[in-house]
Amino acid sequence: MHKYLALIRANWQRALTYRSTILGYRVGEIAEMLFILVLWTSVYSASGENVLRGFTLREMITYFLIGNLFNMVVRSFASERIANDIKHGRLSTYLVRPISYLAANFMRQFASLATLISVITQLILITLFFLPVIIFNTDALYLGIIALMAIFAFVIEFMISYLVGLIAFWTDETDGISSSIDRIKRIFSGGLFPISFLPEVFAQISFLLPFGYSLFVPAQLYLKKMDISTGLYGIFVQAVWIVILYGIIAFVWKRGLKRYESVGI
Amino acid sequence: MSIIEVHNLSRTYKFYRKEPGFVGSMKSFFARNIEHARAVDGISFSMEEGELVGFLGPNGAGKTTTLKMLTGLIEPTSGTASVLGHIPHRREKQYQKQFSLVMGQKNQLWEDLPAYDAFLLNKAIYELPDKEFKDQFEELVEVLDVGKILNVQTRKLSLGQRLKCELIAALLHNPKVLFLDEPTIGLDVVAQKNIREFIKKYNRERNTTVLLTSHYMEDIKELCERIIIINKGKIIYDGSLDKLVKKYAPHKRLTVTFNKEGVGREILSRFGKLKYLGPHRSIISVLRKDAPSVAASLLSAGLPVDDILIDEPDVNEVIRHIFEKAS
Ligand SMILES: Nc1ncnc2c1ncn2[C@@H]1O[C@H](COP(=O)(O)OP(=O)(O)OP(=O)(O)O)[C@@H](O)[C@H]1O
Ligand SMILES: [Mg+2]
Repeated sequence: MHKYLALIRANWQRALTYRSTILGYRVGEIAEMLFILVLWTSVYSASGENVLRGFTLREMITYFLIGNLFNMVVRSFASERIANDIKHGRLSTYLVRPISYLAANFMRQFASLATLISVITQLILITLFFLPVIIFNTDALYLGIIALMAIFAFVIEFMISYLVGLIAFWTDETDGISSSIDRIKRIFSGGLFPISFLPEVFAQISFLLPFGYSLFVPAQLYLKKMDISTGLYGIFVQAVWIVILYGIIAFVWKRGLKRYESVGI
Repeated sequence: MSIIEVHNLSRTYKFYRKEPGFVGSMKSFFARNIEHARAVDGISFSMEEGELVGFLGPNGAGKTTTLKMLTGLIEPTSGTASVLGHIPHRREKQYQKQFSLVMGQKNQLWEDLPAYDAFLLNKAIYELPDKEFKDQFEELVEVLDVGKILNVQTRKLSLGQRLKCELIAALLHNPKVLFLDEPTIGLDVVAQKNIREFIKKYNRERNTTVLLTSHYMEDIKELCERIIIINKGKIIYDGSLDKLVKKYAPHKRLTVTFNKEGVGREILSRFGKLKYLGPHRSIISVLRKDAPSVAASLLSAGLPVDDILIDEPDVNEVIRHIFEKAS
């Protein structure tokens, strides 16, 4: 078996060992999602409007359901793990072997998709609840672009998370930075509210940042509030980001390793 | 050509010293006192293929730091190291496939996976052919007798069991050079002996070059013909254990057993330095070259001597003496 396939397999096994942890997360997420949907429902009824910034309530609910589904697939929790590997010297076990740490972690990220089954179950549960109001899009072209965007977003999310983890080469305190980045990500990805609610400038900026492609853009595409060409342009922006991030990672990794002291062993 | 060649190798660590308390924290926030620790200070040595060398030294002497440089984990500050013709910190795959590092204090296997899965993973990582893997695996599992625990998550294993699995994982790719950092730490005497015997046999049979650190003199005595002693980053001895004892311990021990009680301090002190006085058995330390003649005069002095044993001082003692003198 090829080494990276073997890594996926091993990580897969490992991920499945932690079924109860996974379920633990899901409970909180379902609660949060329901809360957001209830919140927006009452915002609409309080405002007395049918359309807010171009969103009907049905569109808004669909936006959050689809956007979050997309986000759950692509998001990455690599940073904490990587920071710990560096802090506790566990990185050493990779450095003495013929294996790339970046690739090994990517495989781990990929293997964590095994837990997707629980995400999908969760989504089906919520969807059933909101079935009457959800908008369905079966346009293959749109769905195809969204799928492509998901692959790119998966890579980008991983790379950002990986980079944040690498900060541990310089400081033992990475929790603060990583939580700040999470918050910025949440706003610019449209996870709290659609970015179109922000002043125009922000929306413009967010198109050039990688975050929006992890939730806002695909949800907009799904709702056909964006056309195919905008979607393709987004994929181009993502591709550029992958190249940029890869460059930064290579640079930071090289500098970081010079500082690495393999402590604890 | 030697398998390992080290020339003038040094490594300095930078670190910050913080004064205690809140004020100290504030001060160090604005201006940190950078200090340098010279962990390894210009060491040179070489090792030939198949050699098993013991790397000794008190805590903080620089042993682990040296191993880190030889395995490419950290870069030397100055000097050069070459192992199997490779410069370790370049981390070339070709080099990595030919050595292994086992650290007794650090779990290298994935804790959540059973050992067998970890082995399979290593098979893939080192790109081992099926047959080679199978042969090596089966042999190691048998010799180390771990057949029954292969399906248990490694974090649920005892220290000794885990270490055996670590060794297997490290040896599957049949490395030419093996670095062992305190491989027997924390093991009970029986387990220590097993591991020690295994390492010895493996080194003989495969002609694997082994560099090993340990604080247990038993390990060193049993395993290493040659030892390198390092202290404060400098090599203070490089040679055989026998010669070390001869060099640093100019005395021999005469253990005299009497068949009657009461041969006292006064009488015995005439023959040499009295190390231990007992009712029936006493120990006298005498210069190496005088040992035979002192023994002879003890016998002819009309004392109730039952037996005289001449031997080398305890290695532990010699090493302790060297460490104490050096610090
Ligand atoms: N990351 C680091 N930063 C600062 N100083 C360090 C670091 N790592 C090691 N040192 C210092 O370098 C010296 C050598 O450490 P090293 O770990 O090589 O010793 P050792 O011989 O392996 O000791 P032990 O027998 O206790 O394992 C020690 O004085 C230690 O405090
Ligand atoms: Mg050490």
